[in-house]
Amino acid sequence: MSAHSSASRPRFEPDPTRGHFSNYVRFLWRAVIDATDGNGWFYAWMTLLSAVALVGLNAWATQIHHGMVVTAMTDHVSWGLYIANFTFMVGLAAGGVMMVIPAYLYHDDEMHDVVIVGEMLAIAAIVMCIAFVVVDLGRPDRAWHLIPGIGVFHWPMSMLTWDVLVLNGYLLINLHICGYLLYMRFIGRRPNPRWYVPFVFISIVWAISIHTVTAFLYCGLGGRPFWNTALLAPRFLASAFVSGPAFIIIGLQILRRVANVHISDRPLSVLANIMRVTILINLLMVASEVFTEFYSGTSHTSAARYLYFGLHGAHGLVPWIWTSVVFGIVSAILLLRPGVIAHKTQLTIACVLAFVAVWIEKGMGLIIPGFIPSTLHEIVEYSPSLIEWQIMAGIWALGLLVYTVALKIGLPVLTTPHASKH
Amino acid sequence: MSRRTALKIAGATLGAAAFAKAVAPITQWAADQSVDEFLQQHYRELSPADMAKVIERLETETKIDYGADVHISDPKPQPGVKFGYALNLSVCVGCRRCAEACHKENNHDRLSGNSYIRVFEMQKGTIDLEQGNTTYTHAVPDPQKYYMPVQCQQCDNPPCVHVCPVEATWKEKDGIVVVDYNWCIGCRYCEAACPYHARRFNWTKPQVPQEEINPVQAYLSNRIRPQGVMEKCTFCLHRTREGRLPACLEACPTGARVFGNLLDPDSEIRWVLANKRVFVLKEELGTKPSFFYFFDK
Amino acid sequence: MKAPRYTLCLVALALAGSAAGLLLSHAAPPVIHQAATPTPSDSSAVAIVRHAVTIKPGPATPTVLTNALNRSGEPVPVSCSTCHSTRSPNIERHSAAELTEFHQGLAYKHGDLSCLSCHNASNYDTLRKADSSAIAYPNVMELCGQCHGTQLRDYRAGAHGGMNGHWDLSRGSRERNNCVDCHDPHAPAYPRLKPVFAPVDRGARQQQERAAHADKESAHD
Repeated sequence: MSAHSSASRPRFEPDPTRGHFSNYVRFLWRAVIDATDGNGWFYAWMTLLSAVALVGLNAWATQIHHGMVVTAMTDHVSWGLYIANFTFMVGLAAGGVMMVIPAYLYHDDEMHDVVIVGEMLAIAAIVMCIAFVVVDLGRPDRAWHLIPGIGVFHWPMSMLTWDVLVLNGYLLINLHICGYLLYMRFIGRRPNPRWYVPFVFISIVWAISIHTVTAFLYCGLGGRPFWNTALLAPRFLASAFVSGPAFIIIGLQILRRVANVHISDRPLSVLANIMRVTILINLLMVASEVFTEFYSGTSHTSAARYLYFGLHGAHGLVPWIWTSVVFGIVSAILLLRPGVIAHKTQLTIACVLAFVAVWIEKGMGLIIPGFIPSTLHEIVEYSPSLIEWQIMAGIWALGLLVYTVALKIGLPVLTTPHASKH
Repeated sequence: MSRRTALKIAGATLGAAAFAKAVAPITQWAADQSVDEFLQQHYRELSPADMAKVIERLETETKIDYGADVHISDPKPQPGVKFGYALNLSVCVGCRRCAEACHKENNHDRLSGNSYIRVFEMQKGTIDLEQGNTTYTHAVPDPQKYYMPVQCQQCDNPPCVHVCPVEATWKEKDGIVVVDYNWCIGCRYCEAACPYHARRFNWTKPQVPQEEINPVQAYLSNRIRPQGVMEKCTFCLHRTREGRLPACLEACPTGARVFGNLLDPDSEIRWVLANKRVFVLKEELGTKPSFFYFFDK
Repeated sequence: MKAPRYTLCLVALALAGSAAGLLLSHAAPPVIHQAATPTPSDSSAVAIVRHAVTIKPGPATPTVLTNALNRSGEPVPVSCSTCHSTRSPNIERHSAAELTEFHQGLAYKHGDLSCLSCHNASNYDTLRKADSSAIAYPNVMELCGQCHGTQLRDYRAGAHGGMNGHWDLSRGSRERNNCVDCHDPHAPAYPRLKPVFAPVDRGARQQQERAAHADKESAHD
């Protein structure tokens, strides 16, 4: 390609004399350069993430070789840390859309500037979702059986096939939106709303759908009373709209410091206001579930009793869930204080606490107690093995790699002033 | 070439080397996998000729991996037959010989002591499984207890079949819920969906000593399962589709088990349904089991 | 009630359908009451063979243990009629514990019955039914069934007692236990036994250790 470029224009700069094909290649080339260029901190960060990702990859390879016996999962607790993280990640992906709604639905221009940060979070989170499902497969070599048309796709009966569709669809939609906006800014043209606004609105609905479908995975199982509640999908959404904004608030503050990007306080306060509502809704829903379980006192409450107080001498999840409850409440109190948005340290603490609280609640506090006691009321406890922690860390590192690269590509394009903006 | 580019290339090379090292266990594992196995189609898309080839390959692999000469067949459901099973809770003494027979008959992994049957020691006066216990070792029966073996209920409305994303498990015409061990992707959604803890996962490659391998095998039942796939009770279809009784029934010393054809009005199982007070486990879930429990008195 | 399916005689049912010819081909050659088997090509009347349901016979010659021991240290059994053909019974005795000779170790716990409720005092090689008629030892089930009617009914229906063989009698035979195969007639309650095959709940954990072990070994190779 570059051989034909005019001398004045490097091959990673847009060339208005050329067509979209050539310019798109230039755009990709620019992306590769942006993704791999940076200061010493950037290289240190990327090296660290790569190293952790490789540790995770090695652990996964070991798991494939020896079988999932290297995890702590058993026939009684047949899903563990991977599916727990998957569930949380779906929420994070959906939560990214909380940037989009104020920006596009209510034409909040200052949100427009940073909305791509949320959409890129969605991309990274979906990549992590898919990775967490793949590492949970006993036969990842047979993943092709899931491809419609090539394998056997048990749609619409199996909720897992719905999840395959909505997750991959959400990934594609967000890739399209981010890619289109970045490319348009790269070539210095005003984005044509016809090519992205409809997708933005689809992505809003779609974000709801990914978390709803994921909740339906669990709440449709009549044999697991802990999950078999109609409140599960709303709860998932409420917690997603806690963890997503929390992550973005933390991310924006980091970006302010490490990247030369101007980010106003406006997005932070919008997101913090969203969290003020959603964290309360989430706590309310948890409370109403807890009330229903414990007040009725039916035999179906045994999983909740195990989770919160321990059952028949087994209480492996009790420290987890109370950590989550305390973190959630403290975070809510911090967020509800009027001065929190001005006080960045408090805001950050509140977001970290909320993020951890939701991670526990959606994972160790939701997936694991679904299996304890088992459907035949046997109690076999679960505590993740080292391999599982390694694989989890690896996937988080992979996700952060994707996110860092995406931001690295996106921010210079966004910060390049363009006459065509708005 | 700039210093920065050189550094990038060096970094990428190092990264690639580390990557290769990290995935090394996969290549070790892949050496044992065959291309034919990888490309194999779903059970229901295999022609008889395809199936003959698959079975030949599986028999050869068993010989190589386990040293045993086995015969794998693919018996089909018999027309006019739908299997039903009933268990007399007044007679069962909880000796777990059924679970042991299942273990041997179905070529289960020896180390995990796997079996499709779990026997619960229950408090008299309740069918609350929460008060049950599976790990008893005292002499049985304890006069204060009764015993309830639980295995696959071969539901007519099977949640495990509904949730499978790749149709690797389905219900056959004779009522048996089967798994294509060569199609299952090992997501374990079925294991989460089953209300009866009837499904088992192959957490690692099963180990069975050569001399203990049951050589009479079927594709959909007791052939040695691959690592990383689901398995379950098939009412011993390699036996029952040949007209024989299941292994757990033959092992029962007290005759607590009644097996037969639900479509034959003269069958023993139909007599039990008509003349005993029969119940099914977790009826409220609407799974419509083909496995029944009853008390004599 | 319908003709009991456990019946000892072999029945051949004439049924239409040439498929039955196939069934015949891998069935063991049983005794068939009806006429010769038609050829598979004859579709008008093909017989489906009903294989035998056999009941394990009860003991042919009844014995009782003496207090003499054989070389292996086991009590020597002796046939009942050895003594009882010459001695007259003591109808006052109700259980083995009251007896001073033979019958040692015979734990008796069978309701309110006494010895002669079932044993035939006029011929100890036979048993005695409630109507005083003699009944041969192999037919002991008929004797039991006099009192245990529900069990006999269930047994006849195939819902009581252990069995082996085929559920589908058109494809093979079946062998069923006799009452006294499982129940000691002198103490019929099923004995307590040691359970086998306790579940290994942390099986996965053990396998993990094995995998780690295998890993070490492969590292040594």
